[in-house]
Amino acid sequence: MLATIGKPAGAIALAIALISFVLLALGASPAGVFSALYEGAFGNWIAFTDSLVKATPLVFTGLAISVAFSAALWNIGADGQLVIGAIAAGAVGPFLGGWPRPLAIALILIAGALGGAAWSGICGWLRARRDTNEVISTIMLNFVAAQILSWTVHGPLMEASRAYPQSMPIASSAEMYMFMPPTRLNLGMLLALILAIAMYLFLFRSEPGFQLRAMGKNRRAANFFRIPIASLTVWTMALSGALAGLGGAVQISAINHRLYEKVSPGWGFEAIAVALVARLNPLAIIVAAIFFGALDNGSQAMQRAEGVSPVLVQVIQAMVILILLAFDTSAWGNLRDAFSRTPTATSRTTEAHDV
Amino acid sequence: MLEAKSITRRFGRTVALDDVNFSARAGEIHALLGENGAGKTTLMNVFTGRIRPDSGVVSLDGKPLPLGSSDAALRAGIAAVHQSPMLFERFTWEENLALGGFGRDGGGLGLQKLDLEAVASRAAELARHLGFELPPPRVIIAERSVAERVRLEVLRALSFDPRVLILDEPTGVLAPSELTAFLDLLRRLRGEGRIVILITHKLAEARAVADRITVLRNGRLVAETTPAESDESQLARLMIGELMTPPEAQLHPVAKADTLLEIENLTYRNGGATILDGISLRLNAGEIAGIAGVDGNGQVELVEVLAGARRATSGSFRIPGNDSGSAMAAIPQDRDLDGLILDMQLWENLLLAEPVRAHMTRRGWLDVPGAMERCREMLSAFRIRATGPEALASSLSGGNRQRLEVARALTQNPRVIVAHNVTRGLDLNATADVHRILLEFAAAGGAVLLISSDLDELLAMTSRLFVISRGKIRATDPRDRSPEKLGLLMAGRWRD
Amino acid sequence: MFEQALEAFLTSTIAMATPILLAALGEFLVEESGIINIGIEGAMLSGAFFALSGVYFTGNIAVGLLCGMAAAIAINAMLGVLVINLAVNQVVAGTALDILAAGITGVFYRKLFGITGKAFIVTPLRPIAIGPLARIPLLGPMLFDQSPLVYFAFLMVPNIAWMIYRTRYGLRLRAAGERPEAADALGLGVYALRWQALIASGVLTGLAGAFLTVAYANTFVENISAGRGFVALAVVILGRRNPWGLAAASILFGAAMALQFGLQAVGTAIPYQLFLALPYALTLIVLAFFGGQARDPSALGVPYTRS
Repeated sequence: MLATIGKPAGAIALAIALISFVLLALGASPAGVFSALYEGAFGNWIAFTDSLVKATPLVFTGLAISVAFSAALWNIGADGQLVIGAIAAGAVGPFLGGWPRPLAIALILIAGALGGAAWSGICGWLRARRDTNEVISTIMLNFVAAQILSWTVHGPLMEASRAYPQSMPIASSAEMYMFMPPTRLNLGMLLALILAIAMYLFLFRSEPGFQLRAMGKNRRAANFFRIPIASLTVWTMALSGALAGLGGAVQISAINHRLYEKVSPGWGFEAIAVALVARLNPLAIIVAAIFFGALDNGSQAMQRAEGVSPVLVQVIQAMVILILLAFDTSAWGNLRDAFSRTPTATSRTTEAHDV
Repeated sequence: MLEAKSITRRFGRTVALDDVNFSARAGEIHALLGENGAGKTTLMNVFTGRIRPDSGVVSLDGKPLPLGSSDAALRAGIAAVHQSPMLFERFTWEENLALGGFGRDGGGLGLQKLDLEAVASRAAELARHLGFELPPPRVIIAERSVAERVRLEVLRALSFDPRVLILDEPTGVLAPSELTAFLDLLRRLRGEGRIVILITHKLAEARAVADRITVLRNGRLVAETTPAESDESQLARLMIGELMTPPEAQLHPVAKADTLLEIENLTYRNGGATILDGISLRLNAGEIAGIAGVDGNGQVELVEVLAGARRATSGSFRIPGNDSGSAMAAIPQDRDLDGLILDMQLWENLLLAEPVRAHMTRRGWLDVPGAMERCREMLSAFRIRATGPEALASSLSGGNRQRLEVARALTQNPRVIVAHNVTRGLDLNATADVHRILLEFAAAGGAVLLISSDLDELLAMTSRLFVISRGKIRATDPRDRSPEKLGLLMAGRWRD
Repeated sequence: MFEQALEAFLTSTIAMATPILLAALGEFLVEESGIINIGIEGAMLSGAFFALSGVYFTGNIAVGLLCGMAAAIAINAMLGVLVINLAVNQVVAGTALDILAAGITGVFYRKLFGITGKAFIVTPLRPIAIGPLARIPLLGPMLFDQSPLVYFAFLMVPNIAWMIYRTRYGLRLRAAGERPEAADALGLGVYALRWQALIASGVLTGLAGAFLTVAYANTFVENISAGRGFVALAVVILGRRNPWGLAAASILFGAAMALQFGLQAVGTAIPYQLFLALPYALTLIVLAFFGGQARDPSALGVPYTRS
C-alpha cells in the first residue's frame, strides 16, 4: 500500500523540485509560486469547492483514458471527444425549454455521451477494420473537433445578438442541479463519482471488463482464446469517448451553459497524467483528478501573484508523467507494450528456454 | 582451446549456473548435454557475450575473453547458431549475411555503398565448401523453410570465420533425413580445426558425433566424459540424477469408441498461399492421435483454426453432439505469447478459457472469489508450484507454466484436447507429468490430438500417427514407424 | 490573375511541405530503428520557439538555427532516456513531451514577451532565388525561389534514401527496428543506433520548427506547430516508409495547407473553419484508406531491453 501511494507522491514531489529550478531560471520565486498555488486552490471555501469543480472534467476524461489504456488502445483524443460532447450538449440544450428538468438534463447528457462515443468510435472502427494507428487518428480528430466548435459558435449555434463568438444558452431546464450556491458544486460531480465506481466494477469485476483488460495485456493470447478483438476495440473506444463526451456535456450543463470558442483547456491531455498517477485505477482517478484540478485552480492565483503563466501547470503535468514513467517501469505490465499486434503467421518458436 | 572457470549466474532466486568449469579443444566436437533447464543455453550466452556471469572467467587460446559484450565475443572469434534462428525475417538472405561477417570490411560508420553482390559471392564460396545450396537471389527469409534458416544461420556464423562455433539444439527443427547431412557438416567443421560445441538434450546425437561430452544438471557440472566411456543409460542418469521409468504408455481403447472430433476437408488460405490443404481426420474416444511434422507446415494455423481463433477458408470440423466450442481445449505452442497472459494473475489466466469463465459469470459479473478458489484447487491438484492464485503468471517457471496450461485445459472438462509441441522446452519431470496427464485423460474416455515435431514423444504416446507437410496430412502405416520412413514423409516425399 | 494565384499556391505548397518533410524524414529514421516518437510535435514546437529566440537575442540566424536544433535534440534526448535506456511506453512518453514542450514554450514566451507578445519579430531568413531558373513561369518560384531550408529538405530526400537502402549503416539501423535481440546478438549496437537516430531526427525536426518561425511566420505564437508534427507521423505511413514517398505525401499536405489560405483569400461562403480542418481531416481519410501497420518495422514501438 505504501508503495502504491509512495511512488506517485514521490513523483509529484520530484516534479515540484524540478519546477522550482525552472521558476528560478525565469526569475520567479518558487516559494511565492507554490504558496500562491496553494492559496488559490484551498485558501477559502469557494476556492476549495472550485478545485473540486475543476476536478470534475478530469474525472470524466481520466476515466476515458483509463478504460482505453487498459485495453492498450492509445486514445489521445479525449480532448476532442469532450469537445464534441460539449457541442452536442450545446446544440441540443437550447431546445429543451419546457421539458421536465430531469428529462432535459438526461437528454443533454445522453447527447454528449453519444457525440463523444461516435467521435472516438470512428477511430476504434478504423483501428479494427483498417489497422489505422489510433494515436494519429484520435489526434487528428482533436484538431477537427476544435474547428467544428469554432464554426458552431460563429455560425449555426451563434447567439442571437451575433456580437460575441458564443452559442445560444441552453434552456434553463437543461441546467444541472447546483448545490450550495454561491459555490459551483453540482450534480454532475456526483455523476462523476458514480461513474468512477461503475468503471472500477466494470473493469475488475465484470466479464466484458476482463476481456478488455486481457486484450490490453496480451492481444495475441486474447485472440487465441476467442476474445473478439475487433468488436471489443470498437466498443472500448466508444465507451472511452462516451465518458469524455459526458464530461463535456456536464461542463456545459453545469458551468458554461453555452459554448465558447474554447471549451477545454487541455483536459484530454491532462487526463493522461491523471490516469497514470492513478495507475489506471478508476477509484484512484478521483483522488488524482482532485490534485490536478486543484493545481489548475491555483494557477490563476499564481499568475496574479507572480506573473507566471498558468501554462506552467502543463509543465508540472508533463513532469509528473515523465517521472512516473521513469521510476515505475516494472509495475505496469501492458503499459510497456505500445503496439502489440497479432503477428503474421510465421511459425517461429519463441520459447523462454533461457535457463 | 576455450576455457571457462567458475562461472556462476543467477536470475532472481534461480541459480542458472553454479560454479561451472568447461573446456573444449580445437579440432573437436564437444557436446554440452543436459535436460531443458540445466543451464546449457545460459552458458552459451555467457560465451557469446549476451549475458555477463556473476562471477568466473573465460579464456580463448590463452587470452581472456571480455565478458558481457556480443561484439567482443564476435571479434574474439566466437559465433553461435541459436535455438530458433536469429535471422531478420523480412530481410533477404544476402542482407542477413551482410550483417554477419561478410559485409564487415572497412570499419568506421559503414556509410559507403554496401555491395550485396560481393556478399552473395563470398557466401556462395563458403556454401560450396560446406556442401550447401543457397536460396535464389534476393528472397526474404520469411519465405524459406525452417531447415534452410538453420543452414543460413550456420553460414552467417561461419562468415565471421570463428574459432568457436556453438550450436544450440540445431537439430530440433530438422527432419530425420536432414540430420545425417547436418552431423556430417559438423565433422567437416571440426576438420578445419575449429572448436565445435553442440548443445543438445538428445543423447543419441551427442554420442553419435561428439568427441567429448560435458553434462550439466541443475546448473552444475556433473560429468565430463566421452561416448566410449558412457552409454546412453549412463548419460541419462547423469542428466536427470536418477533412473527414470518411462511413462506408462498404456492406452486403453474404450469399448465403444465414439467419434469425438471430425475434421472435414479443412482448408485455410492466406494471401495467395494455401496453408492448410484439405485436412480430414477423425478422432475417437480414448485415443491419442499424433501429427508429426517439422515446424512451419501449417501446424500453428491448424491449432488456431481448431481453437476458434482463426476462421478456415473452407471445410469444417465438429464435435458431434456439441455445438459450442467448449468441448475442445487447445494448448498452443507458444505458451508465453499465446497461451498465457504473463502480466495477469493465475486465476485470471484460468478465466481465459471460455467454459471456465462462463461458469464463473452470473449475468455479466464475475465471481472473483469463486474463480480464485477454483484456481487454488487446480494448483494443488496438478502440483503447480506457485505462491497462490494471485501470483503473476510471469513468476512461474516454464515447466509450471505448461502444467498450468494443461491443467486449465482439463478444468474445462473437454472431450478433446489439441496440444501443440506441448513438452517443448520442459525438463524431464515436467515432460513426464504432462504425458501422464494426457494419457489419463485419454484413458478416461477423452481424445487427444498431439501435434509435435518430437518423434520420440509421438512414437511413445500415440496410437495413430499422421504426418503433415505443407498443409496436407497423410496417415502413416502403423507397421512402419521407423524414423527414416517418417523422416521421408515429414520432408513431404509421399507425393510420388 | 489566375496564373498569379496558381503560382502563389504552388510556391506556398512547397514551402508548407518543408517543415512536414523535415520532421517526417527525421521520424522515418527513428521509426526504422524501432521507436515511435509521438513527441515529435513537442520537438518541433521547441525548435520553433528557441530558434526564434536565438535569432531575436543574437541577431544571428545561424545561432538561431542551432538553438532550434538543440532544443529539439533535448526533447528527443529525454525521450531517448525513457524509451531506450528505461524501455518505457513510447506513446505515453511522447505525449508527455508534447505537453512539456507546450508548457515550457508557453511559460517562457509569456515571461519574456508578455501576453501581448510585444514585437517578437525578427528579420526572416529570406528565400534565395536560383538565378534565371527562378523566373520560369509557374514552376520557377515554386522550385527555385525558396528559403534555403526548403532546398535542404528536398536534397535530404535522396541522401537519406541512399543511406538507408545502400549502406551497411542503414541496414544496421533497420535491423535494430526489425529484431533488436538479433541485432544485438550480432554486435550491431541497438541502443547506440537508436540514439543516433533520435539525435539526427532532432536536428531535422529542430530545423522544421525553425522554418516555421524564422523563415515563414517571422514570429511565434503559442502552439505554432499546430499539429504538423503529428501530420509528419501520418506522412511516414502514407509515404510507405520511403523517402521519396515521404516527399510526395508532404507535398500533398503542403497543398492542403496552402489551399487553406488560397481559398480563404478567394472568399467563399464556405466557413473558414473547414479549410483549417482540411489538412487534419485529409490526413485521417488518407490514413484510413492507405494506412495500416503491415509495413511497420517489426519491433516498432516495442520496448526493448538488452538482456
